[in-house]
Amino acid sequence: MSDNDTDDVRTDGSGTGIVSPDDETPAWSERKERTQGLSRLTYEYFERARREDQDLRQQSDYVERDVLAFPAWPHEMMRNIALTSFFVGMILFVSATLPPEMPNPANSGVTPAIILPDWYLYWSFGLLKLGPLNPELSILGGSKLMADRTYGVLANVVVVGFVAIVPFLNKGSARRPVEQPFWAAVGMSGVIFSLTIAALSIKNLAPIAPHLLFDLTFLVPIVSATITYAVLKTMREGYMFDLNRRYYRLRPPK
Amino acid sequence: MSLERKDEHDHKGWMESRELTPIESVYLTVLIWLDRRLRVVDYLEILEDLYYKVNMQMPKSHTEQYNLDNKFWYWYPLYALGSFSTVAYVVAAISGALLGFYYAPAAAAADGSPTVAYDSVMLIMGQLNLGYFLRSVHRWAAQIMVAAVFLHMLRVYFTGAYKEPRELNWLIGIILISLTLVFGYTGYLLPWSQLSFWAGQIGVEMSLSIPLIGEWVAQLMFGGFTLSQATLQRMYILHVFFLPFITTAIIAVHIGIVWMQGIAEPH
Repeated sequence: MSDNDTDDVRTDGSGTGIVSPDDETPAWSERKERTQGLSRLTYEYFERARREDQDLRQQSDYVERDVLAFPAWPHEMMRNIALTSFFVGMILFVSATLPPEMPNPANSGVTPAIILPDWYLYWSFGLLKLGPLNPELSILGGSKLMADRTYGVLANVVVVGFVAIVPFLNKGSARRPVEQPFWAAVGMSGVIFSLTIAALSIKNLAPIAPHLLFDLTFLVPIVSATITYAVLKTMREGYMFDLNRRYYRLRPPK
Repeated sequence: MSLERKDEHDHKGWMESRELTPIESVYLTVLIWLDRRLRVVDYLEILEDLYYKVNMQMPKSHTEQYNLDNKFWYWYPLYALGSFSTVAYVVAAISGALLGFYYAPAAAAADGSPTVAYDSVMLIMGQLNLGYFLRSVHRWAAQIMVAAVFLHMLRVYFTGAYKEPRELNWLIGIILISLTLVFGYTGYLLPWSQLSFWAGQIGVEMSLSIPLIGEWVAQLMFGGFTLSQATLQRMYILHVFFLPFITTAIIAVHIGIVWMQGIAEPH
């Protein structure tokens, strides 16, 4: 697109029929076209972006349609209403069948036998009990770098932080677990660890020796990660075999 | 600059020169009247832009392009977990607002005698028509929301949906899941029962063990180093004022980004 396109005088009589009242008044296009500074940059970028969109749209794997997909009303809406009522109905049913109980009033003088948060915080609660892993450094004369409870809080930060940076560690276009056995194994060990660490947090209730439970908390995730990795690798062989077979069926070797 | 009005465009003459139906002329009159005062044209341009964006030609989705619906339909329920947690959030919000009519976060003694807060929960459960059910709905909606959010995160992880353009939404999701847990924790403390009290005790100790800022955090979140009326008051305000606003806003952003970027489909 060249600049003098816009300077051409329109002779076909179409257009808006809007004329600037005098020479001082900027035309509509001039008003939109900011002339200086950041706004000018923004304008130029938007123009580029719009052109890019236009180019993309003209590429062949884009389909032309008047409507995006499924009509929103009534089809999509009825489906949404049905799903939502089903889910809400499920919540109402569960809450009618399993009402909550009410423990005794708070009493700071009596420590209950079981102190627990709600189930979804067990993993965090379990991470607070990692005291035995807090290293006793010989350089500090056998004392610990930080208190056990600080260590537990830090463990929470580390776990959440690791989950947060996953997208920046695992790049590439692979999506399916078969395509990335390692990361699927990491995820599997994470899931299993969140369960075992939850079991560790209620160790006074679990019918298993505390030391054994502590060891299992870390062993079971590693074992399950190994199994996941092995299984996915094997599956990938199968996928590759399938793909190769199709490939050679299409292009038989000479 | 003079106070005299400049010449306006002769909109009236323009309208008369054209053959307009009554509807068109009424529309134009209203439009011009509004535009003189509010400069609607600028906003209309935005609306027009939106209109064309909404009706834009869309690329074929991955499943459409490779005709994968027959292979992947059994994964689709997992793709409803996000909206399921939103539904649970709305249910919890409505039932919570109703519970708020009867609950009072007051007089948090901890000597084993029922406090005002405890009594008001007992009143809801024992005296109020449908109160027991209401509390049950609130509690279960919260539990189900947390469970759905966890499973939603697992689905996103195992389908690699956090990858390239969607890293930001993954981070927002981490914030949302943490907020959900804090929501649950603050709500857990409100009845001021034994469980609430000792869970609060753990919370205070956790925040005290943060290096450097621990005491400040304990003061800010729990109103002191021991549990008192201030703790209950703060948990209540967090639960019914700060968290709802923050979480709702972030959920809106989260869903908005999903809307803009589209759902990452199974490959």
